[in-house]
Amino acid sequence: MKSILIAFSLIISYTIAIAQQNYDASLIPKELLPYASAVLRDEEQNIVVEDFDNILVHFKTVVTILNKNGDHMAHINLEHDKSTIIKYVKGAIYNQFGKQTGKFSEGDFEDASAWDGFSLFTDIRIKHYFPSVTEYPYTIVYEYELHLKQSLALPQWEPVLNFGIAVEKSSFTLSCKRNFNVRYRETNIPEKVSMMSDSRNSKIYTWSISNLKAVKDEPFSPYDKNYLPNVEIVPEKFSYYGFEGSFANWKELGKWMNDKLIVNRQELPAETVEHIKELTNDISDPKLKAKKIYEFMQAKTHYVSIQVGIGGIQPFLAADVNKQNYGDCKALVNYTQALLKAINIDSYYCVVESGRKYKVSLLKDFASIEQGDHIILCLPFKNDTTWADCTSQTIPFGYLGSFTDDRNVLACTPDGGKLMHTPKYTHKDNLESRKANFIINEAGELSGIMTTTFKGTDYEDRDELINEPVKEQYKMLQKIYPINNLDILNLEVKQDKSFDPVTTENIKLHARDYASLTDGKYYFMLNPVNRKTDVPKQVFNRLNDVYINRGYTKEDEVTFTVPANYHLDKTPLNDIIDKPFAKFTSTMELKGNQLIYKRKLQLIDGTYSKDTYQDFVDFFQEVVDADSYTVVLVKNN
Amino acid sequence: MKKPLLITYIFLLICSIVSAQDFPYGTVNQQEMDMKSYSKDTSAHAVVLQEYGKTRIGLVTDENIRVIFEYHVKIKIFNNKGFDYGTVQIPIYHSNDDADTYESLEEITGVTYFKDDNGTTQKVELEKQNIFPVNETKHWANYKFAMPGIRNGCIIEYKYRLISPYFETLHPWVFQALIPKVYSEYEVHIPAYWRYNVSLKGNLKLTKNTAAVERGCFSINSGIASADCSSLVYGISDIPAFVSEDYITSSKNYLSAINFEESDFTSPYSRAKIKITKDWKDVDYILKNDLYFGDQLKKKGLFKDRIVPLVTGKSDDLSKAQAIYSWIQQLFKWNGQNGIVTSYSISKVLETHKGSAADINLSLVTALNAAGLNASAVLLSTRDNGTVSSLYPVINDFNYIIARVDIGDKNYLLDATDPLLPFGMLPFRCLNDKGRVFSLDKPSYWMDINPPQKQKSTHTLDLTLQEDGKLKGTLVNYFFGYDAYKKREAIKKFNTIDEYTEDLNSQFSRIKILKSEITNMDSLDKPLEEKYELEINILEKINGERLSFNPFFWYKIDTNPFKLVERSYPVDLGMTYDERFIITINLPSQYIVETPPQIFAIAMPDNGGKFMTNYEPGGNSFTFSHVIQFAKPVYNSNEYPYLKELYNKIIQSEKVEMVFKKK
Repeated sequence: MKSILIAFSLIISYTIAIAQQNYDASLIPKELLPYASAVLRDEEQNIVVEDFDNILVHFKTVVTILNKNGDHMAHINLEHDKSTIIKYVKGAIYNQFGKQTGKFSEGDFEDASAWDGFSLFTDIRIKHYFPSVTEYPYTIVYEYELHLKQSLALPQWEPVLNFGIAVEKSSFTLSCKRNFNVRYRETNIPEKVSMMSDSRNSKIYTWSISNLKAVKDEPFSPYDKNYLPNVEIVPEKFSYYGFEGSFANWKELGKWMNDKLIVNRQELPAETVEHIKELTNDISDPKLKAKKIYEFMQAKTHYVSIQVGIGGIQPFLAADVNKQNYGDCKALVNYTQALLKAINIDSYYCVVESGRKYKVSLLKDFASIEQGDHIILCLPFKNDTTWADCTSQTIPFGYLGSFTDDRNVLACTPDGGKLMHTPKYTHKDNLESRKANFIINEAGELSGIMTTTFKGTDYEDRDELINEPVKEQYKMLQKIYPINNLDILNLEVKQDKSFDPVTTENIKLHARDYASLTDGKYYFMLNPVNRKTDVPKQVFNRLNDVYINRGYTKEDEVTFTVPANYHLDKTPLNDIIDKPFAKFTSTMELKGNQLIYKRKLQLIDGTYSKDTYQDFVDFFQEVVDADSYTVVLVKNN
Repeated sequence: MKKPLLITYIFLLICSIVSAQDFPYGTVNQQEMDMKSYSKDTSAHAVVLQEYGKTRIGLVTDENIRVIFEYHVKIKIFNNKGFDYGTVQIPIYHSNDDADTYESLEEITGVTYFKDDNGTTQKVELEKQNIFPVNETKHWANYKFAMPGIRNGCIIEYKYRLISPYFETLHPWVFQALIPKVYSEYEVHIPAYWRYNVSLKGNLKLTKNTAAVERGCFSINSGIASADCSSLVYGISDIPAFVSEDYITSSKNYLSAINFEESDFTSPYSRAKIKITKDWKDVDYILKNDLYFGDQLKKKGLFKDRIVPLVTGKSDDLSKAQAIYSWIQQLFKWNGQNGIVTSYSISKVLETHKGSAADINLSLVTALNAAGLNASAVLLSTRDNGTVSSLYPVINDFNYIIARVDIGDKNYLLDATDPLLPFGMLPFRCLNDKGRVFSLDKPSYWMDINPPQKQKSTHTLDLTLQEDGKLKGTLVNYFFGYDAYKKREAIKKFNTIDEYTEDLNSQFSRIKILKSEITNMDSLDKPLEEKYELEINILEKINGERLSFNPFFWYKIDTNPFKLVERSYPVDLGMTYDERFIITINLPSQYIVETPPQIFAIAMPDNGGKFMTNYEPGGNSFTFSHVIQFAKPVYNSNEYPYLKELYNKIIQSEKVEMVFKKK
């Protein structure tokens, strides 16, 4: 064992010696400079597996920072916790000519508690350091070694972490005993793995990549992991905070999670079980029973994230949640499962990658613990699979919304894990539909009533507003609706929390100076409340496909009663656009003193070829133009 | 906004019995449990039923005198939007190494009361293992916990004790919060050895305000030294929730709160009297002799040789000052921290090239002085830190240092933390009321911080209408003062100017940039200039041979940033604003103007702001210009309706379109 290690370390030190050539910034290939604020000159990540609970990660990088925008690449942040020990870290700074101007070591780092943005407590800490260099370009060279005491989640290789970073050379190796089996997944890697075994019963996997140009942020791009290079490695057997296990697929991983992390944590006090039974006694439909339980859980608990214990993957005991009334997603799902179990309703603890910007699915053919970040609940009723997120006090039962919809999740069941797919809300489901009856009087004042319904993922659109004080609600609406001098005279917002939830908003409003009267002509905006003002920016030489994450339908029908005896000065708006990715109609008609405006905008989710993009921009430009149409009324002679 | 409450001196006092007392822990009454909403503010998600704090100076062990702060609160939570009040974080100044010079927190206890399904009140205690002490950084720790058993209608109650070795400021008491309070009270016991200045901020009136002498309340060395205490109680009942508004500097300026700043101290051991901040003279003395302030200003020698190449050959003081300023600006990187004393010696700052605002700007002052210039340090409070008290010195009100250099009869305020700031311009965060000027050889004094720079720009478009209905021509923009700063910052977000223009071009699909030129990018003292050749496709064909055109197309305002009917607090923009547009359009000979734009002028009272347009028809061309000006950096709440109306009028007039038609 020792001798293998020596052999590996010889290899490592050899490569480092080679790399230590010349950090002169002018040696960076010219073709790597466009759109780059920093260039990774040479990066190496070497993982040496000594045993399941004894892994060394050696990382060394050389980065040239070209300007201030690349400074973040010189920020070093090393997370550590009970299972990740920093063995050492050190580095040096070089000026643009490659001359060393300073160096740093672990003593220069500060240690702070890591905050993930939402947890009350986690036991992860961060050692961080940022060298202060004001002359660009400069080069930072640093290396560190981590000692990992677990093998459930190994570091991944993502040579391109950010937009605006070019890569001259980056490599990744894993060294392990021949009997240490791993599965790996290569994405967007031009050169496949090279594998080398030596006589001493060991093997080395190596990946490397070179001369990657900086990536620009292109709007409406697919999820970045789908087009950037990355490699993920998963050991077949693992050790994790004293747990041992193995998995080759989702079935086995789900089985392990169910058996080791969940199943023995669902004990409830007898009186709670009793109470639950009583509560649901009169209900016969299991789905309605489950709804009752869910609402009980919602009213009783709230979300507080505290990550302690085994790396934050095991839920609190259901009995603790029962007592404390709080927990994170794991704890609340586990608790809800326990309550359901008390009345013999089966449910699954499901791992999902959450997020509104992208719908990221667990990969069908590659199981790993790192692919999910949130837990939801699945109730496998016959022909009526029902889903619930247990972290919100207000979300309707059976509704996932835009946070976890339409993606593959891992359901942990006693029979093992299985991939399931959460419900999709189509562009027709996500409906915002509005009807308004407005009067514009001689003085240019606007008044009237407006009713809007929100369905599908749009159901959530008024969550912020609901239950706020009336004054605050009025202030929020003044920001939502672009009518100047908007006075809300009356507001009603209702949420129907049935299995197809709907939010309905009724507003009675008034606004002075909606129309300007100049030289006997009235000028006013045709689209009073739902104007699109942003056109996606153009992308010259686009590389990525056009990805629309979520479709929607917006329908507006506004009737304006305008002062009598006026006619339109301009050609009435009559726009109809039909594209594969979107549809738009916007029409107006003046009948007597009734001006009827109808608008419908549909965006259809999906992935479209990159050549579609200019069409996409032009489409929205036309929508913006139509939405900014100013009505001009002239008095009849 | 700040009022003198009382300057407390012990021994002068009325001898009355102070009736302050903590409310009993662990009890709730039926009425509190039954509350469905707070009758004085039915929209509140939660209400503080009782809040009590007590600070005293006393012995914690035989010889250790400490400031002991006790906090106790009881909060009714009506609905889930109030649940956050059940998640508590208590920050303390803390280190694992040296307990004596840091704070400690003890005896955290908490309990939640709720009604069970039978309507009976139950309670659940906060358990020790659910309190998480977290060392956030080297010197800050946070005690974190979530109250157990929270649900709609519950009541939470918790208390703790904070032991502190810091006597300079006693724990401040903030009466007002984002939720209303039924009653909040603060009790302070100060032994005669210490004196504090007390200041009250905010608009609320104290409903309880008593002072009394407490005999023999403090003794050390088994009675060798003992003293009476002044016992002070401040209370306010029916405190409304604080509602913030947009465009205010800091809510700290308006929240009702009480602060204590030590003025002097007599050692109970040696009887030596130590002045802390009795008046500015004392503060001047302390700062001049402070290792991390005055001592750093004395280190001119550090800079003597370094500045020689910068000032050689420069005869006037202004260009010397400019050279030194820009040298420091380029040399040091700001670490984002403020500060009124340096983090370490400025020789270390010179070595590491990074530091706080105090590190960088005290270095600047010292370097300027080393060149024989007349420079001083100006202490101020950044906008988000609130305004400073002018009644008496409150050192803790300040959080930032800038440099001031006097040349001839002019003075310049300098901040070298940002390499994009021109000489004599302060960053937005510093534009706050006034600062205190310190130098080694003169008494300190106040100065107003009024930026001489505006947020100003001019835009000149010269366009010709083409046969195809497009407009072609040039746009020249000049950006001055804060507008130039913002523009430079925006351009610097890109790696090159070409990437900036490419991005600009990609933003408008109706406008094509054919050629571009940006000048004075690095000449910070000059206006930033942009020149573009453009092709614009925005004319709308309307019936017949007519084209309609909005002459405000380049930057049309169509929503009013001011929505409220009235305001409680001033609108603080920090600086004045001036924007001018001049557009000239040359028409082909077959076209004439059918509907010209409106000529319009509206002004706020006292020249507070204006909007003006002007139209000059020519032969086959016309020039239309407009000006928007906000002449004051701060508008008080009674000027607010005019400000809002000015915007309303701008929006009104910018809706109106011009029409061209074929002859």
